[in-house]
Amino acid sequence: MLKYIAKRVLVTIPVLIGVVFMIFVMLSVVPGDPLTVMMGEKVKVDVIERLSVTMHLNDPWYVRFVWYLWDALHGDFGTSYKLTRSVSSLIANAFPKTLMLAASAAVLSWLVGIPAGIISAVKKNSLVDHLFMGFALCGVSIPAFSVGMFLQNLFNGILPVSGFASPAHLILPALVLGWNAAGTIARLTRSSLLEVLEDDYIRTARAKGLAPLPVILWHGLKNSLLPVITMMAIQISSLLSGAVITETLFSIPGIGRLTVDAINGRDMPLLQGTVIFTTAVIIMGNLIADILYCVVDPRIRVEGGK
Amino acid sequence: MRKYLSLLMAGVLAVSMLGGCGSAFDDGSSTGAAAGDGGGAQTQAGASGETTPAAAGSGAAAGGNVIHIPEKDEFPTVDCQKDTEFYVVPLNIYDRLVECEVVDGVATIVPSLAKSWDISPDGLVYTFHLRDDVTFHNGARFTADDVVYTVERMMNPATAALNTDFFSMIKGAGDMLDGQAEGVEGVKALDDYTVEITLEVPFAPFLANLATPSCSIYNREAAEAAGDQFGIDPAVTVGTGPFKITDWVLNDRITLARNDDYFKGPAKIDGIELIQVPDENTQKLMYENGELDVVDLSSSTSQLAYFMGNETYKDNLVTGPEAGNYFYAFNLDMKPTDDVRVRKAISMAIDRQTILDQMYNGAGHVVNSMLPDGVLGSYDAQEIPYDPEGAKALLAEAGYGDGCDLEIYQKTDDPDALAINQVIMSMLGQVGINATIKQMDEAAYLSERREGNIGMTRAVWWADFNDPDNFLYTFFTEKNTKARSINHKNGDVYQWLEDARAMVDEDERMALYQKIDTTMVQDEAAVFPLYQMDHIVVVQDWVKGFEIPWNGWTDTSYYNVSIER
Repeated sequence: MLKYIAKRVLVTIPVLIGVVFMIFVMLSVVPGDPLTVMMGEKVKVDVIERLSVTMHLNDPWYVRFVWYLWDALHGDFGTSYKLTRSVSSLIANAFPKTLMLAASAAVLSWLVGIPAGIISAVKKNSLVDHLFMGFALCGVSIPAFSVGMFLQNLFNGILPVSGFASPAHLILPALVLGWNAAGTIARLTRSSLLEVLEDDYIRTARAKGLAPLPVILWHGLKNSLLPVITMMAIQISSLLSGAVITETLFSIPGIGRLTVDAINGRDMPLLQGTVIFTTAVIIMGNLIADILYCVVDPRIRVEGGK
Repeated sequence: MRKYLSLLMAGVLAVSMLGGCGSAFDDGSSTGAAAGDGGGAQTQAGASGETTPAAAGSGAAAGGNVIHIPEKDEFPTVDCQKDTEFYVVPLNIYDRLVECEVVDGVATIVPSLAKSWDISPDGLVYTFHLRDDVTFHNGARFTADDVVYTVERMMNPATAALNTDFFSMIKGAGDMLDGQAEGVEGVKALDDYTVEITLEVPFAPFLANLATPSCSIYNREAAEAAGDQFGIDPAVTVGTGPFKITDWVLNDRITLARNDDYFKGPAKIDGIELIQVPDENTQKLMYENGELDVVDLSSSTSQLAYFMGNETYKDNLVTGPEAGNYFYAFNLDMKPTDDVRVRKAISMAIDRQTILDQMYNGAGHVVNSMLPDGVLGSYDAQEIPYDPEGAKALLAEAGYGDGCDLEIYQKTDDPDALAINQVIMSMLGQVGINATIKQMDEAAYLSERREGNIGMTRAVWWADFNDPDNFLYTFFTEKNTKARSINHKNGDVYQWLEDARAMVDEDERMALYQKIDTTMVQDEAAVFPLYQMDHIVVVQDWVKGFEIPWNGWTDTSYYNVSIER
């Protein structure tokens, strides 16, 4: 097991280098330089010529690539052109906010999604089932910006609609993200539980004369949660890489907002930093999901080896 | 067992996330500056009576006497030597030697840190007599040495300043920038309160130039000690202004608190909160909640119609002309705009008044010059007529009787330019010009423009300083005309622009600028002026004394603003 984890972690290193390489190539192909973007309308030819030399912007991309890797290996991810601060400090600053939002949305989606899925499965094809599943379908399919703007208009004056100053500020954005996640979880819980409830051992348990609730919760749910848990891990990693639209709409200074700003500002060091970080988070999320899978499903464990 | 482990892991993950969030919230109480104010205070050796100014007002965020303003983008830094765009913080925490203010309806240069000044008859030497009662936020006394330091900091290659051109006309400034000199020869402190600045060649707009935010005066001790954290870390960023920066939570908010020791007397409000609200609809909601006090509608244009069309807000709108013109710039190296007749035909085919009325609720007026009203040197220029028949005749004369193709360039993410480009596309179609819109990503647009490679495009220029030089030099010198993709080849204009800078007689100078403007706009038709817009801001009932500054900027000083509930 440990060997498997170590192998998976080691594989991430070439993936990260490859990602940086791709960004370098892509950004060196498109015209335009960061200094011009920084100065916008007020562009001054002399200043740009002078600073391009001092900032090594005239060097070929492969030279800058090698220097970047060298510095990154020493823990220096550069300084943001646009925000004039070190990239690592910007990410360190933004991550707790994204983490907080992701955690709230995740917990919300579990607390709502799993019970809704169970009730729907037990009351299959009833009005409640259709109601819950309809609600879940909306959560999965309506885009975040429309849900967000709708909630903002609905709760304006009752709940804070922008910023990140108190727990109350988290309610609306967490609802937007949580609804989406809860929809997926509810649908998955329902289908997975339905499948399990057909199994022989459930019939046996019922035949033994056990009360319906313990059968569902203990024998049924326990065995049906496996795919749901995997889904949770994957969802968390995508939430942690920054909910771009939600963070912009609600003015939350997290990773998503940082990435958008970096793209808009052609802020190379910051963009590289956020992409590397996001890649690492997603790889970690998938790794955790894989490990969880091994842990909970003996069949995979056997194939994956010790 | 392993099954429980999986549940446990999921649980641990959730708990650890929640646990890590205790420090995530940015409540107003975490002011990095509260400590910095005390710790960073410096006592001047010479001024024994002067100690730390009281850190009073630091708790401004808590009171109701604070102005809340939304911002759409985070500021790179509040060190205005290194930023060309965001001036609201510099205008409130620093002072300049002189300021530009509207006096009796005319934008005028008025004393600030300099109480008076003398200019030598040849226009080369400026002697500033400084106030002796000014202290920086760290308690240090303001002296002539701070002026010397400010200029040298800008010109120091290590600073990597973006605004070097504001001081580059000073004698020896270029040498320092090139690493040839340790200091700037032309700036000397004659005594503690007199500073002498010598220019390389006469530069008539020099005083107006000194009134720009980029020329804010810094404190030597504070800025040297702060190093590259100056402008980033609130605790070490000090100025002399009516407010001091006390807290900065990146991508969330900047807090300014009143400086009770301000040399013109304390401001009427306790402070200013600049809040990041990138979404325009969210800005509207927050204004309606009373969470925002001042919203700049000219930069949140999607909300303009809502506020202007709503009777409730009729008395809350504050408007004033922008010291800037919108115009189309032609590329004189590109077909078909290399022919002056085509350029004139395009101008004659466009009905500017209709565009202004239909698209902007008539909030502005049509202009015929590059120099907007309210800026020094503006004059009554000859009207460019709307005459589609005349346009057709000119096109036929130019050999395009059967029509021609024209590309209009713009940035991708510019809905305002897109809207007007679509309108003129149909207007041009009526005279036989088949126009298409070519959209480019911002970075590509700017870098191609810098190389002189983009065609007809809508542009705008707002005054940095109150002088025609700021408008005409920026677009029509040999180097700049290429960098703006205009590419005009009129050698006389190149020469006149340099001559005008050195002129001492103000009337002659203005006459020359009018000649340059007429040549470029009327004769060469290198640019086609559209309109000058009114800047529109919505303020809450309780905000008093808010005025649009002379330049029509959003960024302004809040020194004279008060809150009366």
